[in-house]
Amino acid sequence: MSKWSKMPKWLKYTIWPAVACIVVAAVIMFMVGYFGFISEQSDTDAERNLKETYTQVSNSFGKLMRRNWSILESCRDYIELSDNYDSVTPQKVTPKEFIESKKEYWGFTDLYFLDAERNYYSFTEDKQGDKPLENGSQTLIDANKPIMAGETIGSLKVTMFAVAAKGEYNGFAYTAIGISYTNTDMAKALNADAFGGTARSFILRADGNVLLSAQRGGGAMDNYFDYLSGMLDDETIDGIRADLTALCADCEELAPAADAYGYLPYTFRGEQRCIIYMPIGYEDYALLSDVPFTAVSHGFLLAQRATMRVLLIIFSVVIAAVIAVLIVYIVTQSKHNRKELQYRERMFDVLSNNVNDIFLMLDPQTQKVEYISPNIERLLGIKLKDARANIRTMASCAVDCNIIVPNEELQAIPIGSSRDWECEYMHQATGERRWYRVAIYHMSIQGMEKYVIVMSDRTLDKRLNKQLQEAFDAAQSANEAKSNFLSNMSHDIRTPMNAIVGFSVLLERNAGDEELVREYTRKIMASSHHLLSLINDVLDMSKIESGKTSLNVEPFSLPDLLEEIKIIILPQAKAKEQDFSIRTQGVPPDELMGDRLRLNQILINLLSNAVKYTQLGGKIEFIVQKIEESGQFCKLRFLVKDNGIGMSEDYVKEIFLPFSREKNSVVNKIQGTGLGMAITKNLVDLMGGIIEVESAPGKGSTFTVELSFTHVQEGAEDAWFRQHITRMLVADDEEDICLNIREVMRGTGIDVSYVTDGAAAVETAVKAHEHKSDFHVILLDWKMPGLDGVETARRIREKVGKDVPILVLTSYDWSDIEQEAREAGINAFMPKPFFTSTFFQTIRPLFAEAPQMKAEEPPAEGALNGRLFLVAEDNELNAEILQEMLAIEGARCELATNGKIAVDMFSNAAPGYYDMILMDVQMPVMNGYEATRAIRASSHPEAQTIPIVAMTANTFAEDVKNALDAGMDAHLAKPIDMDAVRTTVARILEKREKGETN
Amino acid sequence: MKPYLPLALAVAASLALAGCGGKTNDPDALTILGKKSDLTKPYMTEIFEHYQETTGEKLKIRSVEDAEYENEALRLLGTDEAPDILLHFHNADLNRFNVEENFLYFNDAPWADELTDSARAYCTDASGNLLGLPFWESSVSGCYYNTKLLKGFGIPSTQEDFDGMCESLLDKGITPIFWPAGCSWMAQFGLDPVFADAPNGPETLAKLNAKEIKYEDISSVTDMVTWIANAAKKGWFGKDFLDKGWDDISPALASGKAAMTFIWDTWFYTDFKDGTYTKDDFALMPVFMNTAQRGTYEGGNLNMMMVNKNSAKKEIAIDFLEFCAAPENYNVAFNGISTVSVFKGQTTNIQSKMVTDAKSSIEKYERVSTASTKIVGYSADDMMNALNALFRGEITVDACVKRMDENRLAKARAEGAEI
Repeated sequence: MSKWSKMPKWLKYTIWPAVACIVVAAVIMFMVGYFGFISEQSDTDAERNLKETYTQVSNSFGKLMRRNWSILESCRDYIELSDNYDSVTPQKVTPKEFIESKKEYWGFTDLYFLDAERNYYSFTEDKQGDKPLENGSQTLIDANKPIMAGETIGSLKVTMFAVAAKGEYNGFAYTAIGISYTNTDMAKALNADAFGGTARSFILRADGNVLLSAQRGGGAMDNYFDYLSGMLDDETIDGIRADLTALCADCEELAPAADAYGYLPYTFRGEQRCIIYMPIGYEDYALLSDVPFTAVSHGFLLAQRATMRVLLIIFSVVIAAVIAVLIVYIVTQSKHNRKELQYRERMFDVLSNNVNDIFLMLDPQTQKVEYISPNIERLLGIKLKDARANIRTMASCAVDCNIIVPNEELQAIPIGSSRDWECEYMHQATGERRWYRVAIYHMSIQGMEKYVIVMSDRTLDKRLNKQLQEAFDAAQSANEAKSNFLSNMSHDIRTPMNAIVGFSVLLERNAGDEELVREYTRKIMASSHHLLSLINDVLDMSKIESGKTSLNVEPFSLPDLLEEIKIIILPQAKAKEQDFSIRTQGVPPDELMGDRLRLNQILINLLSNAVKYTQLGGKIEFIVQKIEESGQFCKLRFLVKDNGIGMSEDYVKEIFLPFSREKNSVVNKIQGTGLGMAITKNLVDLMGGIIEVESAPGKGSTFTVELSFTHVQEGAEDAWFRQHITRMLVADDEEDICLNIREVMRGTGIDVSYVTDGAAAVETAVKAHEHKSDFHVILLDWKMPGLDGVETARRIREKVGKDVPILVLTSYDWSDIEQEAREAGINAFMPKPFFTSTFFQTIRPLFAEAPQMKAEEPPAEGALNGRLFLVAEDNELNAEILQEMLAIEGARCELATNGKIAVDMFSNAAPGYYDMILMDVQMPVMNGYEATRAIRASSHPEAQTIPIVAMTANTFAEDVKNALDAGMDAHLAKPIDMDAVRTTVARILEKREKGETN
Repeated sequence: MKPYLPLALAVAASLALAGCGGKTNDPDALTILGKKSDLTKPYMTEIFEHYQETTGEKLKIRSVEDAEYENEALRLLGTDEAPDILLHFHNADLNRFNVEENFLYFNDAPWADELTDSARAYCTDASGNLLGLPFWESSVSGCYYNTKLLKGFGIPSTQEDFDGMCESLLDKGITPIFWPAGCSWMAQFGLDPVFADAPNGPETLAKLNAKEIKYEDISSVTDMVTWIANAAKKGWFGKDFLDKGWDDISPALASGKAAMTFIWDTWFYTDFKDGTYTKDDFALMPVFMNTAQRGTYEGGNLNMMMVNKNSAKKEIAIDFLEFCAAPENYNVAFNGISTVSVFKGQTTNIQSKMVTDAKSSIEKYERVSTASTKIVGYSADDMMNALNALFRGEITVDACVKRMDENRLAKARAEGAEI
């Protein structure tokens, strides 16, 4: 392995940049040093260059001064001589002509005659000046030597050279003569074009006052040091002034030393300039030039620039090479890093898309989202861009918690620490719920504070925990239920069993005492019935809860159902002297499709309870309401109201739970399994309905059951018209019932008039009779205040006669008043509630025949007398009991110990030999269903007509259905209830006699 | 000046006018016709009042709305309601009044020598006739400069020196001349020498007004525009002068950002606000604009009292002018008024130190305001419009000169001049 490969990674990454930096630094240092050297050389060169240039200018100016003085001296001689022109010398030109010729030749502007008072006489203007000169003349006069001075003639600034002279010109007595030059004229002497005309050159005094300026347009410059104020600091200017004064003082007249000069480089507004000054050898006059540095060292600067250019090229190449290396290195590294980054990002995205954890990074100051894993859209249904734009959008999916922690709480998390909590979130689109453990880490990443949020998915854990908890709860509940069930069953079974066993013992001991035997037997039977109902309920409950219960939907008559219910409940209510009434509201249909047995069971349960838990003389109302109808569907509400003992609020909450019974002294004395309401609730649920209860202790209870049915289309009602019934009178003290009857009869073509008491009924009927428009039917409530139904009927008969059929509508058993009613002229009774079908069936015979009281159904008593039954029963004990019971009823039976034998016995019997077959279901060899099918399928003449009744311990609705499906005519549950046997047999036989079959 | 003072003066003037003849129906009263704004000047109302109080004579001051003045005055002049005295500036509009026919000359008036040279020159026509008595406030327009910023310089005596000075100032980082493009009057100072200086100026002016020549035929005009263009190009007017206007002059000068501007002395007392530099830091030199080698000043425009030659009361009118020209009277009227002296004996007016200090130079180089008053169709704004196009590089110097002339002619035509 090479040394390079052994080198630490950090060193590999830093070595090349370090080398590059060192190279660049070295080059820069070299160039700085080089340019410093060049600059120094350039400065020296500039100074030397300037000195040489302006030494020459100074010398030239000295020559100019001397030349001008020389000119003046020659002029002076001539002008002085010219005074004697005519007498001394024979000159050919006048002085004026002489001066004009010299002026043109030498180029001065004007010649002046000066006196001691500084007055002057202008040769050109040929007149004396307005005011004296300011400078020069006095010096001239005092020193008697040539002078040079700056003067202002009129408004024009000039440089004047003068020499002493004496004479008079045009009457002006002069002591000196001078010639003047304008600034423009003199500029040439100062080499104004030097350094490309960029130099500002002056002849000035040591105090800065300008005599003349070489600069074009420099005539306005008065004092150069004043001008420099602001460009150089005062101290520097004072230094120049002092230096210049000293140089001038040390200078010999018109012979300045070669090294008598000053040099000052300076920079103003980014421009490098240099000032050079030197005495000119006349008084304190000096030559000063202010030159741009670039102009002085132009050649040097060119060389410098060329060198710089070469160096720059070299440096650029080196730098370019270094940069190229760096770029290659950086690009390589960048590619590597980018690939690494892409790989990581890809990996992270893949991970993110395949895990259910969410990652975010926030800026602590702005809470701006700097990173968020893309799976947020999949997991929470929040668009990535929305979450990026505003972290608060996440709060919308939080359920009862918030991801947005207040700033102060966030800031309270120290760097390096975290805070976590659990939160439930709901997917924005699907509503799916997920649990997350949200952890906020406050950390420093490369010196920058960040909040990193990790949302770990805990949904599976939560669901598992929940399932476990539910399973645990269910197991616990089941265990409790089992314990409760066993406890309840133990108690509830032992209680009647205790009575049975106890009274059986007492019966054995007191077998001789007929009264005690009867008493004990009655109590044993009561306990047996209770035990039987308990077992039935337990089995029912078990069947329902196991989901094996199904509905047997078939057409049924609601009036029939209500009549059956009334038959069952009315005696119970009557036994407790309770006021039991049945009403309908909203015209419920007569014919419905539904499970009649289950509905019956529900309503009987509710009404039995109402009777059971209502005190003597209490009131029980059973109301059937049609609350909704749409097409063939209608919804009925069954209300069972009582003013009984009621229930506590706590008990109402658990009334539908199995084995629930309110614990109070009254209820405790009432027998019950505690399963009735649970079964009822389950049946209602099974039928897709709802059951509710309102109750309060001492204020009674109201149970409401709402169920939907399909109603069977009823036939046309023009039958009423065919019977010539168009008007009827109804009398009931409850107006609602009257109105209901009117509503029910709507559409039948019958005009219903009603009154609410008996007297009004009499009056109305009589009036109609007197107007020869008798009602076709009069319907009277039995129990009305004032005149009751019977009395009302009697009075109507007295006035109207016996042609009008009068019916009594009642919820009560009318057997007690039947005789009295017949005598009063009542034709028939009708049960409440009022149904058109019942009404029609009741009234049709009255119109078909002469009005007469309909005969009551034959009592079931004696229905078994003389009958011969084929009994299929494998259990000898049961067979014996049945045989004995039938014998008691005057009937006989032949036994078959299984279905096969029963089939054979029937097949072999002559037609009409057996009146009926009582068939057990569960039997060896051939069960009851198979036997029935075999009989129905046999060739026996009575195969189709022989009544077969199931007599079995299989008591569920399915069992009933199976029995009927097998071809049986009815179903009787074991243990055998002889009343039921009598009723069923009587009904079947009656039908058979009428020629009806199932 | 306190803000309510102008209002008070105006009210006072109105009262004075009303009291001194505005409602007078005296047939002997001398009628003076003038613009409403002119007649309400405090020194005018003062002299009217002073005259009436002193002499017992009555004056009927008849003022006309400014906008209607020229036409109304012309109309009245040919009627029985012609005024005895007419107030008018010596400008191009005066040509419409046929001065020779309608007004007296005052060449030999006793007060003629009482006028300063510049005032007299202003009131004198091309034939040397004194047209009226200038009774107005005056000022001197020139190059006002910051003495501290120009330390080290003397007064330039030539255009070349002035240019050199500008260059040196620029080298020092100082904007030499503040010439806001929004201020149109400056160029007219350069034109005065072209049309005022004898012998060629008046002749050139006459030819120009007669449409015989154009600006482009006058080389001095081109010289001036060339100089302005070069100055702008070199940066003598500053970098952003195109965006500047009247309100920027005071801050530029007071802060020292610029060293000079072409303006008039009274401006320092009305608009200048002291800053780093105060008005005492300023002095006056001639304007150099390449049209006068020694530079130029522009004298003020003066309202003249002209006497109706055809008036029955012209003798009284002449007496009135003599009254006004008497030192004891004009010094009453101009007492405390900021103005350059119009009369030699004027002592009660307030003259700026700047003007006083430059008195000898002014005397030499002051010229009557010629361009704005005597060139038909001249408009400083139109001229500046052309110059601004030049500054923006949209046109050349020659095109600029041409456009100046086109603008002038267009304005003249719009004003109904026969040109």
